[in-house]
Amino acid sequence: MRGANCGDESAVNELFSVQYCWLIPLLPLVGAAVAGFFGAKWLKGASHWPIWIGVGVSAVLSVMLLVGMLGLQKHEAEPAHETASAEHAPSARIDLRPFSEQFPLIATRNLFTWLDVGTPDANGHTFKIDFGYFFDPLTAVMLCVVCGIGFLITVFAAGYMKGEEGYFRFFAYLGLFIFMMTNLVMGENLIMLYLGWEGVGLCSYLLIGYYYDKPAAREAAKKAFLVNRVGDFGFALGIMLCFLAFGTVSYFGNGAGTNTGLLELARGAANPENSLHWAYQWIPFLLMLGAFGKSAQFPLYVWLPDAMEGPTPVSALIHAATMVTAGVYMIARCGTLFVGNEAAMWTVTIVGAFTAIFAATIALRQFDLKKVFAYSTVSQLGFMFVGVGLLAPVAGVFHLVTHAFFKALLFLSSGVVMHAMAGELDMRKFSGLKRTLPKTRWLMLIGCLALAGVPLFSGFFSKDEIVGNAWEHSKVIGIVMLFTAFLTAYYTFRLYFRVFEGPEVLPEPSPDAHGHGHDDHAHHNHEPAIMILPLVVLAIGAVLAGYLNWPKESLGEFLGQSPSLAHAYETAIPAYKPELVNPIPFGNERGHAELKKINEEYLDASEATHKTLMFVSGAIAVLGILLAYRNHLQDRARAERLAASVPELTHLIENKYFVDEIYQAGIVEPLRSLGRAFFAIDRFVVDGMVWLISFVPQLSGFALRITTQRGYLQGYAVTMLFGVVVILAVIFW
Amino acid sequence: MFAIGLIGFATRRNLIVMFLCTELMFQGVAINLIAFGAYHGNLAGQAFVIFVLVIAAAEASLALGLVVLLFRQKRTLDADAWRELRG
Repeated sequence: MRGANCGDESAVNELFSVQYCWLIPLLPLVGAAVAGFFGAKWLKGASHWPIWIGVGVSAVLSVMLLVGMLGLQKHEAEPAHETASAEHAPSARIDLRPFSEQFPLIATRNLFTWLDVGTPDANGHTFKIDFGYFFDPLTAVMLCVVCGIGFLITVFAAGYMKGEEGYFRFFAYLGLFIFMMTNLVMGENLIMLYLGWEGVGLCSYLLIGYYYDKPAAREAAKKAFLVNRVGDFGFALGIMLCFLAFGTVSYFGNGAGTNTGLLELARGAANPENSLHWAYQWIPFLLMLGAFGKSAQFPLYVWLPDAMEGPTPVSALIHAATMVTAGVYMIARCGTLFVGNEAAMWTVTIVGAFTAIFAATIALRQFDLKKVFAYSTVSQLGFMFVGVGLLAPVAGVFHLVTHAFFKALLFLSSGVVMHAMAGELDMRKFSGLKRTLPKTRWLMLIGCLALAGVPLFSGFFSKDEIVGNAWEHSKVIGIVMLFTAFLTAYYTFRLYFRVFEGPEVLPEPSPDAHGHGHDDHAHHNHEPAIMILPLVVLAIGAVLAGYLNWPKESLGEFLGQSPSLAHAYETAIPAYKPELVNPIPFGNERGHAELKKINEEYLDASEATHKTLMFVSGAIAVLGILLAYRNHLQDRARAERLAASVPELTHLIENKYFVDEIYQAGIVEPLRSLGRAFFAIDRFVVDGMVWLISFVPQLSGFALRITTQRGYLQGYAVTMLFGVVVILAVIFW
Repeated sequence: MFAIGLIGFATRRNLIVMFLCTELMFQGVAINLIAFGAYHGNLAGQAFVIFVLVIAAAEASLALGLVVLLFRQKRTLDADAWRELRG
């Protein structure tokens, strides 16, 4: 079943998780199939078990992979680095050692050839797609996020979704989602990535529309699907262009270091004199479009807030922790395709920064708990895009990891609140819940502290790294990011103070509240262990995840072992001023030492700035919290007075800058008119022609029937005779 | 003989007479076959006629049966009584 694995004899290949890598996606899929096919009739309320087992084992395998790689890193990677930096002069940055020595932590497993079509071109390439998996540190980290957090959320979901209509359906979709997402992060080529990419889009659609009897959920599902189509169209074109230009879509081809893979070939194409440079100019923009759609960046972010119509565990898993970060993963993975193209990188950065501040301002005046977090997710994804856009993929991925923890925590906590409030999520309708939901209150507080970027919590370190890199490249972006961090702290604690502190107000049980059958356990324990335990684990992660990359750059160093990042770093240097390409955010300690030789002064200054910025951003977070305290706990009327003092701005923000309305008027309505026009053309012109074509024979047939088929047997005989005479005449004349 | 059968089939209304006329046409064809067979000096024509006669006999029993059934339905042998079968 498993083909030859391309000659790299690295020890990673021997790891159990790599040997049996096909189990990681397969088990959730099997779980999904069991839950989906047997759930309705037999499993019913136990439908979560196949998914728990499947995703749980996958999570264990992912963690084993990560731990195994970390173990190998300690033994192999570091001595190799020492010798390399001694041998090579700083100017000769392209490492000449064999690939497997440069990057000991990679492995490729080709399960089978999926597609092999087309006649070979001049270079002997056909369109060949291996159903293969590629392992490097980036994959390992992503897998742990997907399967680990995915598992916690499925545990939570078993408590949250208890007694729902279509319980088995929910878990079947979740299993399918994990299958697709693991394919996305483990895939060995862009087509595998695309398979997962579309697969998670499908699951997202299915799960947003889970309550399909609710019109809003149906609309939201359709919107998510359609908006993503826009981005995916560009993404598909990008992949096609990759194939057209490089003749392959595999990241590292058949054999790392053989210069047959897309990412290695792209290093050459980054050079303006290369004949493939034209493709290099276009590919990043097309791929980026896909990332903007999937990761909800301006202008394609509109689907994400509406996606909150889905069940809360779905919001946590798909629309906060994993799927929406696929765009960030893709840009980090295909770094070599992006970094050499300065315009593309600035586009990513500016879109990211704009989205961050734009969504943060909208979050200021949202009253729906989940909507606040949805806009916050859009904003935090903007941070990640700034990270990857400003030559700091490690910072982007680091923020991805910490964000996955605390945002999943926040969403699930708000799920507990929603559960307890019988589906009510409007924070104007309740307040001071700390007595009703004491455990949730502490968990939510931890999540809020992490999101707000309070020092020593995970969000602080990762956000600070992005802000620091932003500041280094452009003061404007840096200030925007700092201001966004301030807004983040403010809206997070506005929510916290309103929901959990202050006078206790419980909502009136309203008949139209979208309580999905929760009403029956309104008087039960609101915080069952099955829901609280996963939250505790996530909370621990939300506190501690920051120390992955601080004070030592351990995560960075680990990710730097990924050839994607290392190649990106080498591609970036000729495209920018060398001192702008700080190797640390690429996880390249060795490069750091080289750079230090060239430009010690600059690096020292940048480190000093970094330290100062840490204090500044910490202070800003605290300031935001204090302001939220004054406006939303001490005197809640003050916030309303503040809003009333700038009515136009408030109006603008409360209506989310009218973006939905602009789309409605500018895109949806014209398209609808176009559709109507096409419908009319179809109905009257095309159908008319078809009708005419069928009408002529019908009419002639009718005429013939009336005149000839009269039922006189003799008449038929005479007609036959006449016919024979005519035929004979024709033959013998 | 073929022509007599043909004219008879086209002009008479009685089902049995019409059937007789088809038999006449058959025999006309059969005589023709024998005559041409003798003229060309081979036996294929005669062999063919034997086949035709066998099939004609089978067909005659079938057709007469049909005529009897039709007569039972309408109590008449007029072919025009079945005009409603027109398409």
